[in-house]
Amino acid sequence: MLSYATLFASGLICIALALNAWRLIVGPTTPDRIIAVDTMYINSIALIILLGLYQGTTSYYESALLIALLGFVSTAAFCKYLLRGDIIE
Amino acid sequence: MHYFWVPFLPMLGIIIPLLTNKFNRSTCALATALLPALALGLILFDLPAVLDGQAFTQSIEWIPLLGLNLSFRLDGLSVLFSLLILGIGLLVILYARYYLSEKDHMGRFYCYLIMFMTAMLGIVMSNNMLQLWFYWELTSISSFLLISFWSHSSDARKGARMALTITGAGGLALLAGIVLLGEVVGSYQLNVVLNSAELVQQHPYYLAILSLFLLGAFTKSAQFPFHFWLPHAMAAPTPVSAYLHSATMVKAGIFLLARFYPVLAGTEVWFVVVSLTGLFTLLLGAYTALFKHDLKGLLAYSTISHLGLIVLLLGLNTELAAIAAVFHIINHAIFKASLFMAAGIIDHESGSRDMRKLNGLWKYMPITATLAMVASASMAGVPLLNGFLSKEMFFTETLDQSILGSLSWLIPVLATIGGAFAVAYSLRFIHDVFFNGEPKGLTKTPHEPPRYMRVPVEILVALCLVVGIFPAYTVGPLLDSASLAVLNHPLPEFSLAIWHGFNIPLLMSGLAIAGGLAIYLNRKPLFRFEGLFPAIDAKIKFEGAIQACVRWAQKVNQTLESGSLQRYAFWLCFFALALIAPPLLDLDTTRGSQAEYPLNGAVAIAAVLLVAGSLATVIWSHYRLIALLMLSLVGLVVSITFAYFSAPDLALTQLSVEIVTVILLLLALYFFPQHTPTSKSRPSHFVRDLAVASLIGCIIGSICFALMTSPLDSISEFFIANAKTGGGGTNVVNVILVDFRGFDTFGEITVLGIAALGIYKLIARMRLSMRTKDHDGRLWATDKYPVLLSVISQSLLPLFLLISAYIFMRGHNLPGGGFIAGLITSIALIQQYLAHGVDWMTKRVSVSYHYFIAIGLVTAAITGLGSWAFGQPFLTSWFDYFSLPWIGKFELTSALVFDLGVYLTVIGATLLILANLGKLTTKERLTVGVR
Amino acid sequence: MELVYSVCVGFMSACGIFLMLRGHTFTLVIGLTLLSYSVNLFLFASGGLTIGSPAVLNGSENYADPLPQALVLTAIVIGFAMTAFAVILAMRGRADLGNDHVDGDDPVDPLAREDKA
Repeated sequence: MLSYATLFASGLICIALALNAWRLIVGPTTPDRIIAVDTMYINSIALIILLGLYQGTTSYYESALLIALLGFVSTAAFCKYLLRGDIIE
Repeated sequence: MHYFWVPFLPMLGIIIPLLTNKFNRSTCALATALLPALALGLILFDLPAVLDGQAFTQSIEWIPLLGLNLSFRLDGLSVLFSLLILGIGLLVILYARYYLSEKDHMGRFYCYLIMFMTAMLGIVMSNNMLQLWFYWELTSISSFLLISFWSHSSDARKGARMALTITGAGGLALLAGIVLLGEVVGSYQLNVVLNSAELVQQHPYYLAILSLFLLGAFTKSAQFPFHFWLPHAMAAPTPVSAYLHSATMVKAGIFLLARFYPVLAGTEVWFVVVSLTGLFTLLLGAYTALFKHDLKGLLAYSTISHLGLIVLLLGLNTELAAIAAVFHIINHAIFKASLFMAAGIIDHESGSRDMRKLNGLWKYMPITATLAMVASASMAGVPLLNGFLSKEMFFTETLDQSILGSLSWLIPVLATIGGAFAVAYSLRFIHDVFFNGEPKGLTKTPHEPPRYMRVPVEILVALCLVVGIFPAYTVGPLLDSASLAVLNHPLPEFSLAIWHGFNIPLLMSGLAIAGGLAIYLNRKPLFRFEGLFPAIDAKIKFEGAIQACVRWAQKVNQTLESGSLQRYAFWLCFFALALIAPPLLDLDTTRGSQAEYPLNGAVAIAAVLLVAGSLATVIWSHYRLIALLMLSLVGLVVSITFAYFSAPDLALTQLSVEIVTVILLLLALYFFPQHTPTSKSRPSHFVRDLAVASLIGCIIGSICFALMTSPLDSISEFFIANAKTGGGGTNVVNVILVDFRGFDTFGEITVLGIAALGIYKLIARMRLSMRTKDHDGRLWATDKYPVLLSVISQSLLPLFLLISAYIFMRGHNLPGGGFIAGLITSIALIQQYLAHGVDWMTKRVSVSYHYFIAIGLVTAAITGLGSWAFGQPFLTSWFDYFSLPWIGKFELTSALVFDLGVYLTVIGATLLILANLGKLTTKERLTVGVR
Repeated sequence: MELVYSVCVGFMSACGIFLMLRGHTFTLVIGLTLLSYSVNLFLFASGGLTIGSPAVLNGSENYADPLPQALVLTAIVIGFAMTAFAVILAMRGRADLGNDHVDGDDPVDPLAREDKA
């Protein structure tokens, strides 16, 4: 039962990722694209967790943890770049 | 055997003159002579056995697979040459002690001289052809140094360069010949090669081998048309001329012919080419020598002529001719070395070498004059002197020739004419210098040299007489054994005697002497006739040719090296393509036998994302910020790919590196134009690049597919089996990094540290303008450090550090480790820079990031060295399990300390790069000299 | 799945090389990064693809090949250092030469030249 659920869920996440990618490529503004990448980070957390559930292993959780932790850093850097140009001042 | 040490003793001796140079000159000379004398003693010790006809070889294997052995050989020929090299070498050392002035650096001179001696000994004693070639080139180099010893003189420099170019080029030809010969025979050992004459001479490569060998020999021995370097090499100090250009180096080419006589000689081609070259050189040298006004110039051309004579003898198809050649090698070395030394004495004590100025020196230096006269007479071939004997043998052999068919009678006639010229120039040497009136325009009054400067000449002239009068008792046995080595089979009957009765050779000798006298008496009209020809300076021609070569090379270089990196990159890719593609054409199918995984939806979507991301990066590459966003999409999908295909460590690393790269590129982008100007490259270039890139992509994809679907025999089984037992960890990837391949990892973090330091230096003093508006012309926001970002970043810092510590600690057993933990910590700190700015961070982190790199590397190195303390190889890891109350059982391992080194280095390198790049816009930026 | 994987690797390499052949330094650096991603994937694949069994010992029979993973791990980190070096060189070039063309000198625009003629 769990495996079907995870399969179904990961299918949905994949669709979400594809839609994010669409937004990323289409834009139209740069902030749109930054948000799209950020959302892709979030979706990939879900995808990795689901992968771990499906395979019954915990070895991927750290990857998810790291994406959650670090994905925000690059989004923040992009935003800072848009605002100030110089990200470390 | 003792002789094995012979080539090594002078080699050790190279340094001695430099060490003893600070003592007085005689001490220096004495110390220099010590080891060659010892080597001479060793040769004499083995002499009796060699004279019995034995040949010894001895070798040490070096790279047996390539046929490279350190191998020495002692037979009659090498003994003969070794005696000449060491004996005359010792005399030259004594002579040079008095010849060199106070201003000359004596230690350096002796150093070069001994180096040359080593090289010559190496040539004559090598039993391996490649080794022989090595020494051969060493003689070219050391003779270059010796000729250019007076480097302040332009003539010396040019002469040295010419000698090096000609003999060096010949050396390359010789190398090619040796390699061909070695491949044909299947061995580079001389004792094998010398006995495979039949195999070699019937091989289709024989002509190529022969011509390459002859090129090598003729350039070295100054045979026509390569003879012109030798007169210009006379710019060298006279001891060098006496040693190199009479007795040894120019004989190396002859030695080569003699050494390979058993295997290369005996064919029609050999006889025709070698004898005609020798004959022509003999005549040309003898004729030109007569007209030289410079003493050493005369001797140089006479040397060329005598070398031609020896080569001619080696090219005559009788065995006795080869014996005569060996005999003349000995005789020529003796009388020519003494003549050069005498010429040096005259130059030294009268200040000139010009025969138009030097006249009537008899009354100023009667002893030297007598010695020089005896040696000249020997050169002319006067009876009772050694030169006469070999010349007589030479005349005998020319009579019995058929190589020129019905014109063969020309050979004895031309030989007699050459002999007549030899008599004429010898006469000129004697009469012009020692008699013929009074000296003209000399700067100083000539006088006898210091007592010991004359000793070497005296010894050599005495040898001329002794050999000339008692040939069979003195050089007979030596000549026998050397000839045996040259011919490689039992010798024919021959007799060494002064008197063979009235016969044709004697008549030829008489004619030569009479003719020479006649030529000399009629020299004035001859000189006038010679003066009608325009003077050709080989130096100018040679330099012109060299410069033409240089110009041509520059032209080619400028065409190829246009300075456009873009073009280089294209050609690099193009040739990579051209090299990789052909082997793939031979492969029948890329799909191997390995079972493949079925495709599923998630992977398909990921693939679509990857392709779309890459394509979008290319398409948006003109809008650089957006290209960066696309790139981060690719990075994300790549790390998910790693995770999906069972590589959690890689996923973690890729993820953190991706973040760091994005920050790096964003930092850099600030200083670059935001958009790439379009339409800059030509459409044809666009299509060309697209084609090359696509083809390479196809090839990489095909190789990748072939690789994955082919059955794999991996060495990884070992790592998996031993990770727990040998390395004490269950995460095999990490155990490989810190234990099995720890040395590689150590190298890699060193590279990382060096790269970071390089970047640090590049950042210093970088001047770039800052922009005040964004690309669309909007002013920057005024809020430097948004509060929300600052608060969240600061509060996340402990969490970051906690996670990085966790990842670090568990790395040995579960995905994680020093690399990843280091990157996470770096990102945490960079985030603080981002949110709070440089000033805020500088107040809190006062330590320089260099120290992180240094401490990290030192930690890793010490961990590695630590295993030495326990008698284990570098970087052997240690681990054990302990238990503590409350905490329970835990593992301690030395690999963890090594990993700590990795961790620190990664932090140091990353932050050194990013923080300093960030500081570029602040007052904390790097300036030169200030950290 | 292997086929799709190789297609992706090949495509990424092609994109990376194409960008590397462009004339501006920043584009070149992006191309270099893309190429190093694809090369890492390529090297990783040399051990074969494995799903669901990381090289962490847990008593099971089948493990992913750990050796390419270890090599790629260091390659990723070194790749970052190399990218950083290229970026800084590019910046230094721009600072010292005043433009960001890889040849250090902006070639004359061929279209503009045609206009002039």
